[in-house]
Amino acid sequence: MTGKIGLIDYGAAGNQESIRRALIEAGGDVLIVSDAADFSKVSKLVLPGVGGFHDVMAIIKSSGLYEAILEAAKVKPILGICLGMQMMATLGFEYGETKGLNLIDGEVRKITCKGPIPHIGFNRLEQMGDSPLFKGISAEDEFYFMHSYEFVNYTDILSLSSYYGHKFVSAVGQNHLFGVQFHPEKSREAGIKLLRNFINL
Amino acid sequence: MRIIAKLDVKPPFVVKPVHFEGLRKIGEPKTLASQYYAQEADEIFYLDIVSSLYRREILFEEIKRTAEGVFVPFAVGGGVRNLDDMTRLFHCGADKVVINTYALQHDPELIDRAAHLFGSQSVVVNIEAKQWDGWWECYSDCGRERSGKDVLKWVKEAQERGAGEVLLQSVDRDGRKAGFDIDLIANVKDKVSIPLVAASGAGSLEDIRKVYLEAAPDAIALASTLHYGICDIGAIKKMLNMDSKVGG
Repeated sequence: MTGKIGLIDYGAAGNQESIRRALIEAGGDVLIVSDAADFSKVSKLVLPGVGGFHDVMAIIKSSGLYEAILEAAKVKPILGICLGMQMMATLGFEYGETKGLNLIDGEVRKITCKGPIPHIGFNRLEQMGDSPLFKGISAEDEFYFMHSYEFVNYTDILSLSSYYGHKFVSAVGQNHLFGVQFHPEKSREAGIKLLRNFINL
Repeated sequence: MRIIAKLDVKPPFVVKPVHFEGLRKIGEPKTLASQYYAQEADEIFYLDIVSSLYRREILFEEIKRTAEGVFVPFAVGGGVRNLDDMTRLFHCGADKVVINTYALQHDPELIDRAAHLFGSQSVVVNIEAKQWDGWWECYSDCGRERSGKDVLKWVKEAQERGAGEVLLQSVDRDGRKAGFDIDLIANVKDKVSIPLVAASGAGSLEDIRKVYLEAAPDAIALASTLHYGICDIGAIKKMLNMDSKVGG
């Protein structure tokens, strides 16, 4: 199924411009979606990252996007990136406890490990599950991470990564719903390839 | 260790301040950003070094143009005064914002507000350190204005307020190509648990190796070293890779 990719606009937060450019580079036809009425025009959705869990969930709820995303999630493929992935979880704990979109079971908690937090930089995907999202992507490919929180979930994991010996969830997936902790829009050609896989689903 | 290409911009050119003074024109931001992206820089930092000083508007169009085609993180700073400025930068293609003057001299809570809305990981605090007898002072406006604040105290405060990364520059070493201020970098590294980007002073591969082995920053930001072709990013990565294998 191809068609327009709806890129959710959180207003103040989010690096959607970077994602928009990367989706176009990957061959996508992108529509910025800031209103529930736009959802019928798109066949897939991307939830950007770069934001605080609490504040961005509040923006989504007050703008009417919340119900529209939940409705779309029943049939349309969704790719959550970084915070976008985290908000797909049941609960988040950044600046207090906040309910997420509850699309994928899980909680989002502060990373605890020996390394500097936020975890910032390029890293690899280990134990990649069999997913169309990873078509053509190898364990040598590197993806850019920038996060202080991690998805705690043991059922819908698509890949794990390691940081200072700490294993964390770097991608989740459930049927047509996907979330990646890293930023494919900022991960050179490997990231573009992953976005192209999503576009071609 | 990440290798970051740092563009010090006095629009419309990337310039290289020597010792934070006397500017030399290097080239256009867009050309250099594309060039360093192609050379596999891990990130690009774009710092407008005169915006705060001249109290003028951020040049958003120039930033938007530079970000194009850069599929690694693009951090932007210089003259960032409030959340609206930051939002506009993200809408121009920034992935992180860099704050110094307004947080340091006027409104430290700007860091808290930015971390809340954009998440800590996207908020970089830029520190321009000047050494005095026994301490380092935070400067702003490209090394021109004193603040009276102690670098080691300010860096801790910035982290507590929610900064996700520190860009540490040295007013004394910048542009001199005579080596990093290892003592400063090691002291700051010791004070914070957020990633530290060390800058100022690299003049050779050996300087980079030394800071890596002796102060262990999480990233280094290079300007003159790259602009003048003293080291190329591939050679630096190769060297660091060997050292990390030796060090286990």
